[in-house]
Amino acid sequence: MVDLALPGIALFLLLNLLAGMLRVYRGPTLADRMLAALLFSTTTVAVLLILAEWMEQPALRNVALLFVMLASIISLAFVGLPGREDLEDGEQ
Amino acid sequence: MIGFLLDGLIAAGLVGLAYQAVTSRSLFRGIIHFVVFGLTMALAWARVGAPDLAMAEAAIGAGLTGALMLVAYRRLVEDRRDAPVDPGPAKSRLALPIAIGSGLLVGVIGLSALFSDVEPGQAGQAVLADLQQVDLGNPITGVLLLYRGIDTLLEVAVLLTAFLAARALAGSESGTGSPTTQGPETPMVGALLAVVIPLTVLVSVHLLRAGSYEPGGAFQAGAVLAGAGVLLILSGRIAAAETAGLLVRMGLLAGLVSFILIGLTPLLHGGPLLALPGLWAVYFIETAMMVSIAITLVLLFAGGGGLKRGKHG
Repeated sequence: MVDLALPGIALFLLLNLLAGMLRVYRGPTLADRMLAALLFSTTTVAVLLILAEWMEQPALRNVALLFVMLASIISLAFVGLPGREDLEDGEQ
Repeated sequence: MIGFLLDGLIAAGLVGLAYQAVTSRSLFRGIIHFVVFGLTMALAWARVGAPDLAMAEAAIGAGLTGALMLVAYRRLVEDRRDAPVDPGPAKSRLALPIAIGSGLLVGVIGLSALFSDVEPGQAGQAVLADLQQVDLGNPITGVLLLYRGIDTLLEVAVLLTAFLAARALAGSESGTGSPTTQGPETPMVGALLAVVIPLTVLVSVHLLRAGSYEPGGAFQAGAVLAGAGVLLILSGRIAAAETAGLLVRMGLLAGLVSFILIGLTPLLHGGPLLALPGLWAVYFIETAMMVSIAITLVLLFAGGGGLKRGKHG
């Protein structure tokens, strides 16, 4: 049972990621896409931590650490973007 | 079974994200898909048991490149505030055959890799055989510095050459506008930096030290350290300058110069070229390389020849 728990949780989190991907795809505003991408990196951290335990690869925890650092760069690069929606989502 | 499902989901997600990143009609959407693609790719590397690649992909593929694209996007929007929406490049009749052809090529290579027994390279075998002797726990660092030192040396040289080439191409126009995205009035940025910058430095030193016994090392650590520099540039704490100061120049050259000097010393007493004299040399070169890689990446991001105090510094 315990053997199944870790990969099961990883799978559940990955399905969450897929839902987030849908939000990145659908939008509709820039901030929606950006927040979904940030949620993506948070969930990926969780998946990596679980994989580290399940695959017995402790080094994956360092990868997770790195992901946390990166999210701050992306969000700082995004904040203050001129919000010209019409230039953006012309297709919607 | 669940592992198979996981891998299938990741692979399907990757293909979908890559398609979206390339074909999105809106630039911003393409950029976000690219960033998410990088994160998923890192997850895929983690699944196949290559944490080194996962780190490099996350740091450079998603983080720094993503930030660079967002900054470029901002410039584009500001420059073309009143321009009509670009319909994008016209469809080419060759696109589909090329896509199918390259897909087949990748498929054939992948399949043949699956069905052939590849012997590990000589350097890999050698380093696994005497990992205990050299007192390094991470075979990748061992191969990079002890058995394939010349390759690593050339990589550092290539990075420097890339920076010089970028400088030559940018010419004198660069250095006029630093890619700063934050005004001094943006709330919380100061607090964010106060927490994140020290943590980033800590993490990069941790990765560097970890490189000797588990995945990590100079390249990953340098990329993370460059992340701290990029944060400082984005928030206007430091800015691109026309020419480099002494410290920046020393940092740029530290990796290459120390590698060459330490690599040359064995020749004095008849040893082979690049035979590192001990573990301290590995640590020394890795540290110098980390600084050089970080400064090169930051300068490439800033688009300048040097760094100076920014307007919100």
